[in-house]
Amino acid sequence: MPIYETLSDRLTVVLDIGAAYTKFGFSGEYAPRCIIRSEVRCKKTNQVRRIFDFKDEQDLYDLLVDFIHTLYFKYALFSPKDKPIVVVESLLSPTLFRETLAKVLFVHYEISMMLIVPSHLVSLSTLGAETALVLDVGYIEAVAIPVCFGLPVIHAWQALPLGAQAIHNNLRTLLSSENTGINQLPETVIEDIKVRCCFVTKQKRAEQFNLAKPDITFAPEVKYPIGGSDIITISGKVREKVYEILYDEDNDHLSLSTMILDAILKVDMHLRNQLAENILLIGGSVMAPGFKARLKDELHKQLKYERYKKLRIKTFKFHSPPCKENYAAWLGGGIYGATEVLGMKALTREKYFLENRLPDWPNMRDNRTL
Amino acid sequence: MSYIVSPDVVKYACTCGLLKPISCLYFCRYCCELRCGFCVCHEVDSHFCGKCCENLPSSEARLKKNRCGNCYICPCCQQELSTRIGSKGPSNPEDPKSTPKKMYYLSCLYCRWSSRDVGIPDQGAATGGWPERENVHANRLQEVIEGYKAFITAQRQQKEREKKKQRGKFISYTDRTGVTAAALRKRIGLPAEVPNTYYRNRPKPPEVAIAREEVEDFPEDLLTKALNLMEITTIDQRLLQPDLQPTTVDKLFPIHKQLSIKRSLRCRSCEHNVSKPEYNPNSVKFKIQLFAYYHIPEVRIVTVEPLRAGKTAELILKFTNPTQHQTVITFLPLDLTDKGGDGDREVVGETQSLNLPEKQPPSLGGQPSSLLSLSSRQPSITIKPRPIRQATNCSIAIPGSKVILPPRDDAAEYDDSGETHNIQDDTKLVVWRKSNKAFVKLAVTPDDGLELNTEIVAGFTMQHIYTNTIATTVENKEPDRHDHNVRVFLSLGNLVGSE
Repeated sequence: MPIYETLSDRLTVVLDIGAAYTKFGFSGEYAPRCIIRSEVRCKKTNQVRRIFDFKDEQDLYDLLVDFIHTLYFKYALFSPKDKPIVVVESLLSPTLFRETLAKVLFVHYEISMMLIVPSHLVSLSTLGAETALVLDVGYIEAVAIPVCFGLPVIHAWQALPLGAQAIHNNLRTLLSSENTGINQLPETVIEDIKVRCCFVTKQKRAEQFNLAKPDITFAPEVKYPIGGSDIITISGKVREKVYEILYDEDNDHLSLSTMILDAILKVDMHLRNQLAENILLIGGSVMAPGFKARLKDELHKQLKYERYKKLRIKTFKFHSPPCKENYAAWLGGGIYGATEVLGMKALTREKYFLENRLPDWPNMRDNRTL
Repeated sequence: MSYIVSPDVVKYACTCGLLKPISCLYFCRYCCELRCGFCVCHEVDSHFCGKCCENLPSSEARLKKNRCGNCYICPCCQQELSTRIGSKGPSNPEDPKSTPKKMYYLSCLYCRWSSRDVGIPDQGAATGGWPERENVHANRLQEVIEGYKAFITAQRQQKEREKKKQRGKFISYTDRTGVTAAALRKRIGLPAEVPNTYYRNRPKPPEVAIAREEVEDFPEDLLTKALNLMEITTIDQRLLQPDLQPTTVDKLFPIHKQLSIKRSLRCRSCEHNVSKPEYNPNSVKFKIQLFAYYHIPEVRIVTVEPLRAGKTAELILKFTNPTQHQTVITFLPLDLTDKGGDGDREVVGETQSLNLPEKQPPSLGGQPSSLLSLSSRQPSITIKPRPIRQATNCSIAIPGSKVILPPRDDAAEYDDSGETHNIQDDTKLVVWRKSNKAFVKLAVTPDDGLELNTEIVAGFTMQHIYTNTIATTVENKEPDRHDHNVRVFLSLGNLVGSE
């Protein structure tokens, strides 16, 4: 079947390994084939381990070997040998992780070439835009990087540990004050409570939370069954307050909204308005109900303060990508993978083995040509 | 067969340096080395649906996005859905003879979800015909992808054209005469510069999405309406359908069942298969199965005396010869630095730079180079074995004499005539033997100064004679016999107190 063989050559795997969920699919498709937890069942102890909880390089190598094996032989259903791959990763991805991933792919799985694309940049391709401020709220952290004319402005990056992990911890604390035995609950249950019961409340109501006598009635409470025998009560206050951790300013007066504004501040003056009118929110956490409405309110509130007055921004405009936000970066990688850029820019196996390392933007050797 | 599920007390060191029980190991007959799932190359052999056992060629599986066309799984609990018959009233109510029309719907026998719950109309045919949903953004995404494709192609062509220009193969004589192309163009009244072909042929970029000021409004009824958990999907249910990610259960739709595969395993250094299943999904047999269990003598722990620090204890091991050839077992001290005799092979270190192995798979050795390039398989890279991390804290007195194991004889089980083998055994070493099994007594001494309840691990190198039945050359009909070393690790249990 030579006709189909050419078809098979076009199949390029696009992989976006997130701290919580991994998006996996093929280039040119509109949605990933699967979104699965980035975890592996350890063969020795029979416990489920997150990939990002690795101990050292060797440990990470073994975890990734197992994980990529499941991806290819359970979902992709073909051998990775001599096939290209597109990897979507954050510009702030740790060197140890990306180097180990490359080693696993090139040495253990013998892929033919690998194209690494930065998540913030490629998610813009879903819009067909060149300039936007991209805020990625993931599991471990929220990272804002402005992209101007197709170039990520790295010196303006902002990152805060405000992601799903922080929300889960906050939810655990809030629930513990009203229920017992919360600390024993696995994180999947906490995540489920967050996804099904909690929402981002309105700014006016959030201001009332801190008052001694809130002048609001909280949302109705929810009885949440646990394990078929127990029931915990999730009060309306908890449901509304969980996400406040993203918008409350910390000791350095930083929050999600200041991240966006600080990133805009660091960019050239002429581009500031353009960035404020092109904001793209990606990452699973931004899918919470009410998230965007609240972020917009918070941005306008911050504008009134002295430190952002000089920005002279009047309006904020948000993009809505043609996909769900949690796989927007993956889709961007898929669009890149469908073009010929793979053959032009990808790192081939031969090139990788010359130096046994990946090109990286902080490395001056790779930036020399610029 | 309890050793398959029980804790692995006897482990063999694979050539790659991992310790595994014998049931997880393979033995490549061509390299005479142990291999495990970690150090072989996995390949997909055939695709099939686990429910209807339909065998699909790989191209068809690809077209169907690795999903079965007929079988569905429940979007609620991921169990398989079954097709149920629900009868609808007779097609013609006036005519008493008309039979009731059969209608089919999908139902989950596990969680009671059914396709009627979400308003999917019943189907007249039992298989197929269920409505498929399209991605709502499909048109826009198609436009974006096409736009980017065209853009990159144009860029590449432009680059190639520039490269061609630079080469300057032909000398332009117009330059010497002073009549340049630009000057000529000026004379006849055209602009001097030829407009860049890149800009002329520049593809239309995809339409830029427009950001909007208004965002999704806050869902006000969240504040007042009581939440019904039964109506809201869990995150697993949402992620099962990545393109839709429905938030309420009334938008859950049946999902095509993911296909399964049969895998064949290939040795990375000699490119021979160590395991190849039969193509038919209904068959559990193998075409090739080079499991270590059929080639390497199996070691089991029979008894061990209570272990005390510094005190010698008696350990009885059972050795079984699984092959059709007599073998001799020699005990050697454990050597963790031993690479297992693959010094001549190219290895990939963690620091040393790597050269791709130039050698071709043996089957292609005699072909001309033009054919070699056609072969889709590239030779594998051999990975340097990692050092064995398992530490031993117990010494084994290595006996000087050898143990002979007769070949396996399936009929011996039913033979009551007694021992037919006339083997002169070292009675201090071999306690008892029957057919192809021998019980061997060893003395083990846990190291001094170990804490109570420490797990005691002992190790030794087992050298056995392996008879290779593959006729390597035509004239050499004699089976090839040579020594093969296997490093065996025994978890002997925990240290107990003194008396």
